[in-house]
Amino acid sequence: MNLQVKVGSFHLRDISLEVPSGGYALIIGPTGSGKTTLLEAIAGHARLLGGRVFMHNEDVTNLPPERRGIGFVYQQYHLFPHLTVRNNISYGLTHRGVRNGAAAARAEQLADLLGITPLLDRPVRGLSGGEQQRVALARALAPRPTILLLDEPFAAVDPSTRQVLRRELRQLHEREGITTLQVTHDFDEALRLGDLVAVLSEGRIAQSGAPEQVFRYPNSAFVARFVGSGNVIAGTVERSDASEQGAPFRGRFQGDNLSLDVVAEREGPAHAVIRPEDIVLSLTAHPDSARNHKEALVTRLERLGPVTQVHLDVGRPLIASVTTASADEMALHPGLRVIIALKATAILLV
Amino acid sequence: MDVRWSRVILAGLGACLVLFVVGPLLRLLLESSPQHLAEAIRDPELRASIALTVVTATAATLLGALLGIPLAYLLARRSFPGRRIVQGIIDLPVVIPHPVAGIALLLFLGRRSTVGGILSHIGLEFVSHVPGIVAAMLFVSVPILVSGAREAFRGVDPQLERVARTLGDTAWGAFRRVTLPLAGRGILAGSILAWARSVSEFGSIVILTYNPKVASIFIFDRFTAFGLPAAVPAAVILLLVALAVFLLVRVLQPEEPV
Repeated sequence: MNLQVKVGSFHLRDISLEVPSGGYALIIGPTGSGKTTLLEAIAGHARLLGGRVFMHNEDVTNLPPERRGIGFVYQQYHLFPHLTVRNNISYGLTHRGVRNGAAAARAEQLADLLGITPLLDRPVRGLSGGEQQRVALARALAPRPTILLLDEPFAAVDPSTRQVLRRELRQLHEREGITTLQVTHDFDEALRLGDLVAVLSEGRIAQSGAPEQVFRYPNSAFVARFVGSGNVIAGTVERSDASEQGAPFRGRFQGDNLSLDVVAEREGPAHAVIRPEDIVLSLTAHPDSARNHKEALVTRLERLGPVTQVHLDVGRPLIASVTTASADEMALHPGLRVIIALKATAILLV
Repeated sequence: MDVRWSRVILAGLGACLVLFVVGPLLRLLLESSPQHLAEAIRDPELRASIALTVVTATAATLLGALLGIPLAYLLARRSFPGRRIVQGIIDLPVVIPHPVAGIALLLFLGRRSTVGGILSHIGLEFVSHVPGIVAAMLFVSVPILVSGAREAFRGVDPQLERVARTLGDTAWGAFRRVTLPLAGRGILAGSILAWARSVSEFGSIVILTYNPKVASIFIFDRFTAFGLPAAVPAAVILLLVALAVFLLVRVLQPEEPV
């Protein structure tokens, strides 16, 4: 599938995004970045002031929503309150003249897949958030759309239901093979679900690619901060050895009370991105291959199950992450002085 | 003042008003005996007037629904230039004294007017004819019907139509299968109120079409020609019809939260 959307409206500018057929893409961005508007534009609800939308190489820009072959799951589900669960699910089939028997069979198949068979004859009033979400998903999938659009589908359910639903959604996606485009503000969701992620900022795509790739190699301070790549420090890069030519070169990053040896591609203003797990902590200085060694003060510990985040002061705040086991072994506690080691190649400059 | 006393005063004032409404109606119901009512119901003139009232009020309501429901949908869902003006015009009949409406309709639909002249050529006579009754009823009841339907449409989440569209339904299909069923109760309640308003109309009909007589004019006619005792049984029957309709609307309308 080919999907190119260019929306010249107030919100979105020069959006170009291609989702491979059968792929699972996520659009992430902060509130107000235009995520929902983008989905509405693809669905045909929002008017495009420019650009085209292609689905399976077919230009659907001028087609009304009902002829685009999309399934749309809204954040608030919007189930039809006057219909039962069964009739909600089969809505997209019965009005197209699909035989009642075939529609009922498809509704039952999806209900079975999503574990909502006991709810089929219930009215939608009184369903829990997770149940409504499953019904909305079944309803969108029933007519076998070629593309499934999901607008923050897990925003209104509790965290435990969210985990289960995520897993089910991924399984459903694999089983039905529907090209899926999901909007979220949670990068964790992109890492767990997506083959492709696009980070939206102020109506533009700041970066797109495989989620792991975007997480590891953010191309800007905004993306690094938004996807939680780690510590983002503003500063400048200078060449360490003026006689050295070409790129990459050994350099010195200076910024915010911190001076680091780096491997850089260009001089001048830059942001250094340091992933918490790349910072190695030790109690005593000992020689290793890392080029940066600093003394640091532990200010706070945040235990997140198997991983512990260590808040450090190195003249500026820095966050490192270690396994909880090694945090215990080193008896890390606020007020403790430690040595941090950081490889020059582990510092990403953007 | 203590809270208890203020409550007593509020309740007392309210009770006065409730009694003022209930009192005359109860008095009227008690005035007539079952024999009188049975006699009145056998009166062919009264029966004809009630039948005429029901038929014309129904025609006015159907016509109002046909023209008013699409307009109500537009007013609820679309913004267009002059929307507030259209809304104001539709509400106008509420503030116009009914004899004034009758005179205006007489001038507009009378044979000597342009519109009335054209319509009389195709055989549609208003003054002193049944269509005149329907026109007067439509004029006074249309604000009730349109505002009822408009509020009913406003109560339906517009996103639901969008969902229906993404499920492959056309705009008309989404309206018919989602919005209309959800707004249906409110539209029906508004239509019944409009129907009741048509049944109770007197002021404009008396000017446009005194004969054939609708029930309200029949009662007025009996009162002026034969006095109070002759008017009471017919009045009681019309009151009972109105009460039945009122109860129906109450059943249809969802209770307002306090």
